[in-house]
Amino acid sequence: MAVFDTPQEAFGALRPVCVQLTRAQTMENVARLQAHLAAVSTSALQELQEYVLFPLRFALKVPGPKQERLVQSVVQCISSVLAATCVKKRELLQELFSELCTCLSPPSSSSKPAARSEELKLAVIQALHTLMHSTYGDVILSLYQPSTLPLLGFAVSLLLGLAEQEKAKQIKISALKCLQVLVLQCDCQGHRHLDEDEAQQCGDLFASFLPGISITLSRVITGDIKQGHKPTVSAIRLFYLIVGLVMADTQLARIPKNKEKLPVEQSRISELMVHRGPDWSKSTAEKLSLLLHKMVEFSSVHPHWKVRLELVELVHHLLRNCSQSLVGSFSHLLKALVGLVNDENSEVQSRCNEVLQGIAEQRVVAQNRALADVLSENLHSLATALPRLMNSQDDTGKVSTLSLLLGYLKLLGPKINIVLNSISHLHRLSKALMQVLELDVTDVKIVEDRRWGCESTCGPSGSLQHAMLKGRCQKKYFRFFTEEKVFQLLQQVCRVLGYYGNLYLLVDHFMGLYSESGMYRKQAAMALNELIAGAAGLGVDVLQEREVLPNMDDLKGSIMSILDEYTDQANWYLITSIDTEEIIHEPSVQHSGLSAHPGGTCSSVLLPSAEPHVTTHIMNSNIWQICIQLEGVGCFAAVLGKEFRLLLLSALYPVLEKAGDKTLLISETALGTLVDICEACGYDSVQCLINENSDYLVNGISLNLRQLAHQPHASQVLDTMLRHSDASLLPLVEDVIQDVLSTLDQSYNNQASTFLRVLHSVMTALDEIPPLAKPEPNSDTEGETPLPSHAQLAKDVMERCIHLLSDGNLRVRLKVLDVLELCVTVLHPHGNHLLPMAHRVWPALVTRLISDDPLAVLRAFKVLCTLAQKCGDFLRQRFSKDVLPKLTSSLLSQAPASARAGPVYNHTLAFKLQLAVLEGLGSLCEKLDMGENDLNKVADACLIYLSAKQPTKLQEAAQSVFLHLMHVDPDSTWLLLNEVCCPHQYEPPHISLRPVKLSGMGRQRNEFTDNVLLLLERLKQQESAPPWAGAQEASPP
Amino acid sequence: MALPPPDPQFVLRGTGAAVHTLHFSCGNQEPDVPILFSGSENGFIHVWNLKTHRVDKTLDGHGGSSVYCVETMGGKNRLLSQGRDQRICLWDLAEGRTSVTNSVFTENVGFCRCALLKVAQGRWLMAMAAKAPEEVQVLELPSKTSVCTLKPEVGAKLGMPMCLKLWQHNCDSQPLLLAGYEDGSVVLWNLSMGKALSQLVCHQEPVMSLDFDSEKEKGISGSSEKVLSIWSLNEQQNLQVYKTQKLVNAGISDITIRPDKKILATAGWDHRIRIFGWKKLKPLAVLDYHTATVHCVSFSDHRNPCERLLAAGSKDHRISIWSIYTQT
Repeated sequence: MAVFDTPQEAFGALRPVCVQLTRAQTMENVARLQAHLAAVSTSALQELQEYVLFPLRFALKVPGPKQERLVQSVVQCISSVLAATCVKKRELLQELFSELCTCLSPPSSSSKPAARSEELKLAVIQALHTLMHSTYGDVILSLYQPSTLPLLGFAVSLLLGLAEQEKAKQIKISALKCLQVLVLQCDCQGHRHLDEDEAQQCGDLFASFLPGISITLSRVITGDIKQGHKPTVSAIRLFYLIVGLVMADTQLARIPKNKEKLPVEQSRISELMVHRGPDWSKSTAEKLSLLLHKMVEFSSVHPHWKVRLELVELVHHLLRNCSQSLVGSFSHLLKALVGLVNDENSEVQSRCNEVLQGIAEQRVVAQNRALADVLSENLHSLATALPRLMNSQDDTGKVSTLSLLLGYLKLLGPKINIVLNSISHLHRLSKALMQVLELDVTDVKIVEDRRWGCESTCGPSGSLQHAMLKGRCQKKYFRFFTEEKVFQLLQQVCRVLGYYGNLYLLVDHFMGLYSESGMYRKQAAMALNELIAGAAGLGVDVLQEREVLPNMDDLKGSIMSILDEYTDQANWYLITSIDTEEIIHEPSVQHSGLSAHPGGTCSSVLLPSAEPHVTTHIMNSNIWQICIQLEGVGCFAAVLGKEFRLLLLSALYPVLEKAGDKTLLISETALGTLVDICEACGYDSVQCLINENSDYLVNGISLNLRQLAHQPHASQVLDTMLRHSDASLLPLVEDVIQDVLSTLDQSYNNQASTFLRVLHSVMTALDEIPPLAKPEPNSDTEGETPLPSHAQLAKDVMERCIHLLSDGNLRVRLKVLDVLELCVTVLHPHGNHLLPMAHRVWPALVTRLISDDPLAVLRAFKVLCTLAQKCGDFLRQRFSKDVLPKLTSSLLSQAPASARAGPVYNHTLAFKLQLAVLEGLGSLCEKLDMGENDLNKVADACLIYLSAKQPTKLQEAAQSVFLHLMHVDPDSTWLLLNEVCCPHQYEPPHISLRPVKLSGMGRQRNEFTDNVLLLLERLKQQESAPPWAGAQEASPP
Repeated sequence: MALPPPDPQFVLRGTGAAVHTLHFSCGNQEPDVPILFSGSENGFIHVWNLKTHRVDKTLDGHGGSSVYCVETMGGKNRLLSQGRDQRICLWDLAEGRTSVTNSVFTENVGFCRCALLKVAQGRWLMAMAAKAPEEVQVLELPSKTSVCTLKPEVGAKLGMPMCLKLWQHNCDSQPLLLAGYEDGSVVLWNLSMGKALSQLVCHQEPVMSLDFDSEKEKGISGSSEKVLSIWSLNEQQNLQVYKTQKLVNAGISDITIRPDKKILATAGWDHRIRIFGWKKLKPLAVLDYHTATVHCVSFSDHRNPCERLLAAGSKDHRISIWSIYTQT
């Protein structure tokens, strides 16, 4: 809203106030001028610029002491004139510049800075700032001539003084901002861009100020934290801008060898000028390095994130402009940068990543050998300190140390090989990794958790899924840290190494460590797994893509050599338990001083000489080693994808071995590995994997069965195969089962237990075969028709069971009985084959029934029941002739003893036998459909056990016998019970009929009453219920 | 102490029938995979990939009759097979084809395997038992033109030919034929004259198999007896007994001298493969794996010595693969 648009009008308006000010320099006059200025248009003011400035400048130049507030208002007024106009004359610029500076200069007499008011200082700084902005183009460059060096120097030192010594934050910041403008590095747009020569010239000039500026700024930066973050940020910014200009690689490269001679009249000034030759730049870089170090140390931990952010910018700027001249400082700078990747502030983090990315993309490191050297030096010293740091630092410290390590590696990128090629570097780095990755092997649970019950239940498929999922990420516990992040960083370190590094070299080195000592074996295996993953680019986070993609053949070669090592006997078959059963059956683990034992020669390599004292720690460690190796196999599969199918020939068998391991952790991990393999090789399920590669597995089983020491493993594999697959495997498996049987024939003593487990699995699988090949039920020709192969197999197995039924080991006998039952089930449709077998089994089975451990008795009853379904007639006779008399007589003879006995009796063998017989007898009677005579014998023998004097369990078992008898012959059972005790009077429906007289009638309540009444009640229920309901409730309560 | 006998490196399963003949084709360079051809009792020829140890292809050309001889004719793509259907088939297996391009009707009912000899590029001589008992016919392949028919002198009573071996001293010299007969004798035939040069009674029983080392001019034959017979050829082209080697168990179904002429392998009726040194017939190893008669043994022709293998096919339907090169 200018009132005076034309210069004439404006002149008319301004003239009086200007004249007045010239006459009397008072605040009021200045204020009046200031007021009028507002009413003058910009263009008019531009015309009158010098005219208006004259009284103001005059006011400043009047000799003698001046009132400070007057000076301040004059300066402010000048500012407002300058803000609205352009300075177009060099002389004016220089004079104004000098006059403004003088306002703050100390009186010539004293060297102390003049004590001025803060307002004045601020006004002057702002005026200077405005002046620099109102001057354009070439005019401003006139200030940057050698001749003006003193003037500039004066201004610089003035501003530095303010920035450093003033208390007021505002002044500090303004001074720094002003300095920034002064060195032509203003942030705002609109400044003329300097061409190369001009920049070079400025660089020459500013070089003179560099020591002063840098030292002062570093003091500001490392000054009291109470000054707030803004001055620090501005100082850092100014620092890198000026250093980046003066020490710019491009500029230094253009410096002539010798100092340019200036004209004679400027010789004094020439002395002030610095020649930025190599010597100068070298010594300056050294000095700057000290300052930078101090600054970086201080600001990288500065509480305010903006300071840290500015530090990132500093590194970025210097790295971009001075990567050669300041190479000595980058050790600190990069350390700071890499360290800030994990800054708590996300903005710092992301900027830091951006910068790192930029560095990598521009191949700053790759193209700068010196920088790579600096990095590798840093890496080396870090690797040296790493073991110590990992010991002493807490997890947070470890995270930052490891991020630093990771950052170095990432920055080095393809240049990692410089480091790796130096033996000492690689050595230290790997040793440090070995140390940090040490596992905690004190957990006893790992050893104790066993995969029990594999024989009884295969478990629902849900639990299998669960195990497989669990197996893929076994949580490891480390000795030196607990934080998961630490492990992730270590993983990344190894992967980045694998990604960029020379794979042959690395694999070779870590394989060396693997075999060097048991201490490093697990860690080395972990590292190898991650290296391979990294080499394939799996799960690796890098800053720049590598130039050379890995050769698939090389990768495969490395993987194959690692696999060979992992599955080598010495590394694959480790002692993981002191299971007594296993020890008994594995001759090589016997604690004997005898050197020779059967099979010793061929199995001596298998297990490292048996240590009598294998500690839990050793077993835990062994378990982990196996698990890590298994994880490796899974990882290699993921790396090779479908290519891994070719390796299944050798790799699948060992994994399946471990899937059948008794240690829970191992079997779970192996299942996880199987899932990994499935995914990598494109199989739909573990079952598909096993089915489609059963030829490889069968081959492995068949060959391993040939060696005594490997037999348990081979049978484990077969067991696992059957467990995880279905009957479709059988045609191929039948082939190998013949091998199993013939091996079993040769080693009944040692391996029976192991083989029985396999036979059990086999028979279970056979049992599940849908009866597709059911032969025609033509009894005439059945004998001649060849058995279907699976039935033939069952027959072969049954044959072996006959021998093993009288094995000395109870566990074996129990297992045999289970297998026998399955064999019987499978052979059911082929009666002509089953009967002769039953005939042969009989004698051994009878022994189980009448003189064996109660457990065996019970199972023998179960087998008999199953047998009874098919060969009832045959069994009935045999049973009543060979077995029943013995059983009933023993029941009868034992009854008085048990009736008298106290509670301790329940723990005796005699009790358990009675119980087993009573529990088994009932269902057998029913299954065998025994004759009246025999049933009476059974009833008689059992009746006394209905006595309340007998132990409760025996009473219950006796009840169960009668419940079964009720199904077979309800009437005679009713009668028998009523003979003992008859609760009702039975009135004849007609008087002509004789009254019913039962011997139990009217008896006194006795020891049998309760049980008999109970049974009669059940009988009544059964009779009144519909037949099917009764039939379903056959089992005792 | 002697090393324990080795285990097979691998066992190939899945022929579904007794294996009667084996032939390696491993001479090609990568990426061609080494191959093993097997012929079995059910009439199938299986092409085994020795990298994956699985069947790549199954050839069915003898109508379910037992295949007892398989040979390649320069590379794995040209195959010759002989079956009990009295046919000799020539196969083209190039580019995935599986076709019989040519066949010869032998009209012979015996078990005698035919013999092949390359005489020029693309020209082969094939000796086979002919229709008439006692006679051997030699054809040129692929033209199938008859070169000669070898008839024993009247009254020689050699019986049927049991095994044949065509050979020549060097590329330029005359091809010769060694034939083992039912009466236990081995006869050396001159093809161009069509007459027997020499006859030697090596066995009391029919000769089951023979092999000949043309460098040392020394051969070996086996029969159902407990003995191996080694014989040599003197300057006058006369066969003479060189040595006999006693065996533990009777019956040899196949004998093969390894291409480097250092060792030989026998396929025994006692289920065992035996390895002998060729020079002095020193017994080197007994390879015990099979559970039935071993029908054939074959050495691979791999370029890389450490990848060379020995294969044995047995009545138990399995083919065992052994790596015995590194150990001998």
